[in-house]
Amino acid sequence: MSMFVIGYYAALITASCIAAYFQNRKAFMLLFSLTLVSFVLGIVGGVPALRGVTIFAGILALAAGTSYAFREFLIQVCSPAIAKELRTAPLTAAFGMFVIFTYAIAGIFAPWIAPFDQSEVIASAFEPPNEDMLLGADQLGRDMFSRIIFGARNSVGLALVATVLAFVIGALAGLYSAVKGGWLDQLSGRVADVIMSVPSLIFALLILSIFGTNLWVIVVVVAIIYSPRVFRLTRAVAGNVVVMDYVEAARLRGEGDWHLIRKEILPNSTAPLIAEFGLEFCFVFLLIAGLSFLGLGIQPPTADWGSMVRENATLISFGDITPLIPAAAIALLTVAVNFVVDWMLFRSSGLKEQ
Amino acid sequence: MKDILGLVAKRLGLGLVTLLVVSVLIFFAVELLPGDIAQAVLGQMATEETLAQLRLEFGLDRPAVVRYFDWLAGAVTGDFGTSLIDGEAVTAKITDRFINTLFLAAYAAVIAVPFAIALGIIVALLRNSIFDRVANVVTLTSISSPEFFLGYILILYLAVKWSMFPAIASLSSSMTFLEMLERTFLPALTLVLVVTAHMMRMTRAAIINLLASPYIEMARLKGAPPWKVIVRHALPNAWAPIINVVALNLAYLVTGVVLVEVVFVYPGIGQLLVDAVAKRDFPIVQACCLIFAATFILLNLAADVGAILTNPRLRHPK
Repeated sequence: MSMFVIGYYAALITASCIAAYFQNRKAFMLLFSLTLVSFVLGIVGGVPALRGVTIFAGILALAAGTSYAFREFLIQVCSPAIAKELRTAPLTAAFGMFVIFTYAIAGIFAPWIAPFDQSEVIASAFEPPNEDMLLGADQLGRDMFSRIIFGARNSVGLALVATVLAFVIGALAGLYSAVKGGWLDQLSGRVADVIMSVPSLIFALLILSIFGTNLWVIVVVVAIIYSPRVFRLTRAVAGNVVVMDYVEAARLRGEGDWHLIRKEILPNSTAPLIAEFGLEFCFVFLLIAGLSFLGLGIQPPTADWGSMVRENATLISFGDITPLIPAAAIALLTVAVNFVVDWMLFRSSGLKEQ
Repeated sequence: MKDILGLVAKRLGLGLVTLLVVSVLIFFAVELLPGDIAQAVLGQMATEETLAQLRLEFGLDRPAVVRYFDWLAGAVTGDFGTSLIDGEAVTAKITDRFINTLFLAAYAAVIAVPFAIALGIIVALLRNSIFDRVANVVTLTSISSPEFFLGYILILYLAVKWSMFPAIASLSSSMTFLEMLERTFLPALTLVLVVTAHMMRMTRAAIINLLASPYIEMARLKGAPPWKVIVRHALPNAWAPIINVVALNLAYLVTGVVLVEVVFVYPGIGQLLVDAVAKRDFPIVQACCLIFAATFILLNLAADVGAILTNPRLRHPK
């Protein structure tokens, strides 16, 4: 019995007792079942398993604390109306906002944060971490940490541009279809059907094999592939608004289509569209990351998370986790955006079961 | 019964038309190539004579529409032309690999489908509990991770650190079925993780939707025991959404397979496609794209037909 194990159980049982004393049923059940599970884990996996649990719980507590503090910070900073909404945000959503905020900072200030340039060779290939290089060197001897920071700018930036373009195409087509109806509506609906009937990755591969891997080709192709989703949602939401009396009134006033879209329909359909933007960003980001991973996305020497995973993948067979870091960076951002979107959908749709 | 057959036939016809349009898209996308295929193969330095020679060889002197129907007729009878790189028949290259891919997808599906549906129903019944919250976070994380992230994590722990399974999923014809299952376990597991998460969330949403309907509340109010509410009232109506969820996720599985195959160096059609894209071997790209698209459309069609068969309300569209 090491001191660690004694301390571990003492801390857990004390915490359960405190929870029981303050009659916090949920916390008590959680802590006490963790104690019971630890018995089994301790017998099966020994001290390392318990250490693993401690580290995991520590990370979870740290994340929860950070999210809580960040939410309080946002509530203080924002205007009263927004602050009121923020108070209802669950911790997961606050965590998501914190992660997005961090990525934005990293992306915007990349040249100042990163100690080296993204294409600067400073060491020999696959050099392990030292005090100069936080995460070691990559397959050409470039600083891994700097490249991950620059990746926040390149990968996320490209995905953002593609998402915005997809949104502009899809939303405009959807709004015009809803307002105009008739053959335009039919035509864009069928085009969307065809695009959606081809798997997105396959479609992207087909087009990239023809036009080569140019940045603009990627942006346009990905935007076209994902615009039908936006189109369908916008068409459905705007379809419900178009039949309203106030839109009819605006029509009778003799307002043009553009005015109808901008002043009457858009203000009444923003909530689902904003949530859709988040979801759409996740899809686009994952598709572009997948293409980069296949060597068909952003081309070297520009730092990009997807291709960094591929380039350093050989390290995995030596038990090194470095190639997983850029992959984890992709996953973390997508999870974060999803958390925020979840909360927004919940809020806007009144999806409150029971 | 007659109108069901009619509806299904109509839906199948629509699927066929979609497939035709997609084949047009796949064929004529290559026609958009700056220059033409001959130029893409020979590069910038080609002389006029060699270009003309190659064009004759590929039959590029005929109009595109004629070539399209040739290609389509070939594709229907299983002949996709020859590779631009080594002149081998595309069909010969594809057949074995396609079987491998189907094997991997089926392997993943057999594990994922029952697992995901059971978990999805449990989570739906326990909604808003701690278990549900945890499942929500875990599935969301799994969906949001790129396939290669999950794949490499599995390789790192299950193959490299604990050496339980092989990291590279190479297959040979002399292997027994059990060996094949062991060799392809990691890629299958990666797919299972991604698809289970999707399917669980969709099942949960479908079941919760169902449990909110008035007749379930009626059954509760008249005092039926909870298990009876589920088995007698909810389950018969749950088949339609569940079949839908399964078919949609199988369609997703077919495309998710591409990245997983590359991670595990699995000899499937997805890897062939990626290689062909890098080498710009258009006949192979076209053939693979057509096969993937056809599978995708077919499974989506299955989702629709399944929904029509299990939900009488869809048989009488307003």
